[in-house]
Amino acid sequence: MSVLPAPLQPVRPAFLTRVTPVARLVAGMAWLVASIVTLDPIVPVRLILAAVVALVLWSGLPLRRIPGRLAPLGLAILSLTAFSILLSSSNGDRSVAAVITLGPARITGPAIAAGLAVGLRVGVIALSTLLVFGPSDPTRMADSLVQQWHFPDRFAYGTLAALRVAPFMAGDWGTIGAARRLRGLQPRGPAARLRETGGRLLAMLVAAIRRAERLALAMDARGFDGGIRRTHFRELRTTWRDWLTIVVALAVAAAALALPR
Amino acid sequence: MTTDRGGRIALESAAPPSIEAAGLCWTYAGRSRPAIEGLTFRLEPGRVLLVLGPSGSGKSTVARALAGLVPHVLPGTWKGSLRVGELDVAGTPARLLGERIGLVFQDPDSQLVMSRVDDEVAFGLENRASPREAMQARVPVALAQVGLSGFERRGTMTLSGGEKQRLAIADLLAAGPGLLVLDEPTANLDPAAMHATFEQIAALARVRRHTIVLIEHRLEAALPLADDVLLLDDSGRQLAFAPADAVGPEAVGLLERNGAWVPRAWQGVEAGRTNETGAVETRRTTEAGPLLLEAAHIRIAYPADESGTHLAIDGVSIAVRAGERIALVGPNGAGKSSLLFAMTGLLRPDAGTVRLRALPRDDEAGEPMRDPARLRAGEIAARIGLVFQDPELGFVARTARDEVSAGARAMDRGRGRDAHDDHGADGVLAHFGLGHLATENPFRLSQGEQRRLSLAALALRPPAILLLDEPTFGLDRRGTEAVLRLLDDLRAAGQAQILATHDPRLLPACERVVALDAGRIVFDGSPDAFLAAPPYRPAAPWRDGVALAITSGTAAVAGAAGSR
Repeated sequence: MSVLPAPLQPVRPAFLTRVTPVARLVAGMAWLVASIVTLDPIVPVRLILAAVVALVLWSGLPLRRIPGRLAPLGLAILSLTAFSILLSSSNGDRSVAAVITLGPARITGPAIAAGLAVGLRVGVIALSTLLVFGPSDPTRMADSLVQQWHFPDRFAYGTLAALRVAPFMAGDWGTIGAARRLRGLQPRGPAARLRETGGRLLAMLVAAIRRAERLALAMDARGFDGGIRRTHFRELRTTWRDWLTIVVALAVAAAALALPR
Repeated sequence: MTTDRGGRIALESAAPPSIEAAGLCWTYAGRSRPAIEGLTFRLEPGRVLLVLGPSGSGKSTVARALAGLVPHVLPGTWKGSLRVGELDVAGTPARLLGERIGLVFQDPDSQLVMSRVDDEVAFGLENRASPREAMQARVPVALAQVGLSGFERRGTMTLSGGEKQRLAIADLLAAGPGLLVLDEPTANLDPAAMHATFEQIAALARVRRHTIVLIEHRLEAALPLADDVLLLDDSGRQLAFAPADAVGPEAVGLLERNGAWVPRAWQGVEAGRTNETGAVETRRTTEAGPLLLEAAHIRIAYPADESGTHLAIDGVSIAVRAGERIALVGPNGAGKSSLLFAMTGLLRPDAGTVRLRALPRDDEAGEPMRDPARLRAGEIAARIGLVFQDPELGFVARTARDEVSAGARAMDRGRGRDAHDDHGADGVLAHFGLGHLATENPFRLSQGEQRRLSLAALALRPPAILLLDEPTFGLDRRGTEAVLRLLDDLRAAGQAQILATHDPRLLPACERVVALDAGRIVFDGSPDAFLAAPPYRPAAPWRDGVALAITSGTAAVAGAAGSR
């Protein structure tokens, strides 16, 4: 019983699917940096607009499924924004006029701006992550890290194998919870609940470790980490598309920061 | 690449090696007793060796030793010698062994490394530094050899269990080893997938381009492929090494006494065996009891399917009565697990209803049927229980004794019982043959012990309805008989049992078979009627799989005891 939705995959060939993953990673990092170097909410707004354009035109991802997939994160961003606004220290600054006053609580303009900036940054992170990882499967990312940036095989493909175990862990977690409920174990009170979660985690980890051991053995049996230099079935080369992507991403980031606010 | 006699392109592989073991003995680090002991045999190049033995006989260790995982990857103590061709296993680096030897494991989900089929086949080649052109040539040919042409771009996780195992075989063929070691490659598969996998192995065996070592419970399918048989006892000692056609009455007796599966057709060899099955019939509940569970028009969409159009369960209705034992069968992905979860109320169907109730006592009409999703945890536990395919996922306690009493303790909470009362857990453990393990951690028990403990955990307050997901998975004949005997005991009080299983051998131990296909019920009737005309295509694997059937735990155990 899997609880994880299927990963988003490109449904049509597109520009970004032909860009190597590390180039997309560089582009994504540029936007990430641009969105956090200033507290002004207009910068992340510009980056989000650019990201939406890139998603629609060049990602090849199924556009109709994206809003549904981002909805939980959207809720998290909304609550993060609300709390950031409510708890902002600028609200205490009596020299600034309050925009909203509710009894003793007052909310100022700068607090709203700072809160929006926090929420919008998370939005930039979410959309750039989609642009970096969405257009190709994780295997290509591992290939790209190893072939283009010379990451160690053990790290890249080991992580990849661990990623394959993750959906099973999610399934095990659900199964373990079901088993406990069916056995009549329903913890009452926070202490019992904590103990229950601990026991559930332990059972899940035992299952995950056993699975990982089997997978590691299977990889060893096929000569992984045999001490010789691996070759690569699929060759990834840096092309003009990569450079174009990086240059455009940097230009967009610079424009987002430099254009008049 | 060369072309074989049939005109098909075949992959070059290393010449098939001989295997020579002399006094081979391996003890895993931290274990006091060897996993295998004193193996001494010589297998000629190009022959097929079938390794037989009960659970815990070290069959998998033999496979690991041939692939060099023992002693090069796993820690332990090695004695004696094992040679594969001219290579001495203990003295050859694992990487060199890996080029000559390929290993397929039992669990398809934990041996596929990559997420795309072509990457998966290339993985082993990459590890051996194959040039890219060679890989691009070999990958499609290897896939074609196992009938997976055109699957290159598929995700490995979207394949069926049988396709996954054939992919694992393609991985090996691509690397071109001379020795193929297959460690229960069909254990996780439904009968049709098992059949296809055996056909694949048979095709490989016919061309004699590889030496093959096959570890397999399913004797009826495996023995015809074998040239030689290595028989191990339950402590990993070699009982026999002989040509397969020499498996006569004595060998069958040896197998039976050692808890291996033996086809029913051969069982008459041991006098009086089949006659005793009649005794069990009386233990069956002759008339159906009161209604315990009713599921009506259930529909469940796959959780990962956002459009909600692909249904795991598509309009299933089923009524379950006290004392019934139902086999729930169907190919992988037919919806068996979804249906079990829906019956417990833990998975809310997208449409339809599930109603169930506790077992009524003789003198009362019983409680009304209730929606399990609305019951409190304590109330559910008295009404329905689920034993998972992997018992470890269901364990809640640190010792076997606590595991048995945990459920009863939770149910009795607040009824004035002493919290330290073990509720008779020790008696239950003794009955389940686990008395000596009362203080042992459940996670440290063997597979068979874990399975029995998962049943023992439900014995103090047995639920009215017991659901079991692949209850005999990974068990040898003795383990299976023990589980069935315990199920007989639990049922004596009127418990209804539903066994979701791939194993046709269990069908004769049930009164009713419910068969699912693509989320719908395609058959509901007696095992005899099911086996006469299985509602699947191809039907033969389902029909023939039962050739190994045991009629009931009690009978078979009585027979086995009598044969000692």
